[in-house]
Amino acid sequence: MDMLVVIVDLAEDLRRVTVEVTDAEELLGSGILWPPGCVVTNAHVVRRPEVTLRLSDGRCLRARVVARDSDADLALLTVPGTGVPAATLAEPDTIRIGSFVAAVGHPLGVRGALSTGIVCAIGPIDRGGRHWIQADLHLAPGNSGGPLADAAGRVVGLNSRAAGPLALAVPMDQVMRFVRAAQV
Amino acid sequence: MNGLQSLSNDLTAAVERGARSLFGVNGRARLGSTGVHWRQGLVVTADHTVHVDEEVTITRPDGRALTARVAGRDPTIDIAVLKVDAPGVEVADVADSDAVRVGHIVLALGSGPRASWGVVSSIGEGRRARSAAGDLFHLDLTLYPGFSGGPLVDVQGRVVGINTSGSSRHWQLAIPAAAVNRVVDELLRRGRIPRAYLGVSTQPVRLPEALQQKLNIDQPSAVIVVEVQSGSPAAAAGLSIGDVIVSLGATRITDPTDLKSALRPDKVGESITASVLRGGEPRDLQVTVGERPRRS
Repeated sequence: MDMLVVIVDLAEDLRRVTVEVTDAEELLGSGILWPPGCVVTNAHVVRRPEVTLRLSDGRCLRARVVARDSDADLALLTVPGTGVPAATLAEPDTIRIGSFVAAVGHPLGVRGALSTGIVCAIGPIDRGGRHWIQADLHLAPGNSGGPLADAAGRVVGLNSRAAGPLALAVPMDQVMRFVRAAQV
Repeated sequence: MNGLQSLSNDLTAAVERGARSLFGVNGRARLGSTGVHWRQGLVVTADHTVHVDEEVTITRPDGRALTARVAGRDPTIDIAVLKVDAPGVEVADVADSDAVRVGHIVLALGSGPRASWGVVSSIGEGRRARSAAGDLFHLDLTLYPGFSGGPLVDVQGRVVGINTSGSSRHWQLAIPAAAVNRVVDELLRRGRIPRAYLGVSTQPVRLPEALQQKLNIDQPSAVIVVEVQSGSPAAAAGLSIGDVIVSLGATRITDPTDLKSALRPDKVGESITASVLRGGEPRDLQVTVGERPRRS
């Protein structure tokens, strides 16, 4: 029972730091409330300078894209006044192959959906490719930009796309570098 | 630490333990597979992933490449055994696969290492699951490309089976460790894995209900012998065209696949009872299982 309660609490905590990125009622993807006053998401989710964010409590706020890197597929948005504490990040390199992970997002418009699995591999899919956290869990369109968290609810990656049944997430150390470079 | 973190730590420890006896197997052109250091100097993998008959390149857990030799194969249960000199690579901790139950959490490991997790969904149920390996494990997990031949491990990291998606794209299966042990023991005992052979061609045949009642059996079909090869074990036992084989040893024969499944390598040389119907009357014949002549 203890474990089931833990998963329920973990999902609740992750939902609070996961936003819906929308544009004129159209769902574009998900985003993580981090760092404070900002939201980080995938570049492919935000193609315009401004979008609307829907928080888990139902409030909708306008957000401005302040940095965008198409190669890294990352974007940073500022959204002052959410009043929601930013996501807690895991220390770098704390997850290993086999670690339990949970993803929250809005796949196919389903709000705050949780999926769970384990880390399948860490590294490129193809020789010389970019570094991913490859997770054995299912993502669908709408999950992009949402958090991948460890068993303690600490964010370890930013869900970016699916490769068949495999979820690919940008490791948070890459996200942190991008945010630092954006000088926020 | 919460229960979930504790489970997560157990899973990573199981992956690390299992990965210490994991090999990459390059036995086919496009996609490699996975192997397990089963006994000292013997690596087990899925037969359908080894397209060569002699030498095959395999990769140790530390990434070093070695040349292995195909020591034997049993296509009836999709197992190939490779012989290799691999000092310093741990031999897998093989668990009692009879203790595996539906609902147990398991991990499938692929070379790299890579891992997926899920539960044992069923054991040996359904028509597709019948095989010479006995009861197979049906898995509710993803076997990613290259996972075939790799170990199915429990949460302690002990090997309970060998994964294969070879026989069907829709099933995720594992051959229980006990069946793999039988093949490996046979290889060590004889120096090779023989192919069991009866020398008959058969076709499925329906058993009318009246006949089932008369014989007191609950079996809707059997196989009818349509060819007996001369000089074969079947010919020596007196099997004739038109005989209906109902069972072989303890195995019910409802179609030709059952017959293949009953003829495991370890049965070679054994005398088993073939229960047949001849002219509608039951009779038992003793058949000494032979070895399929090797192609020269």
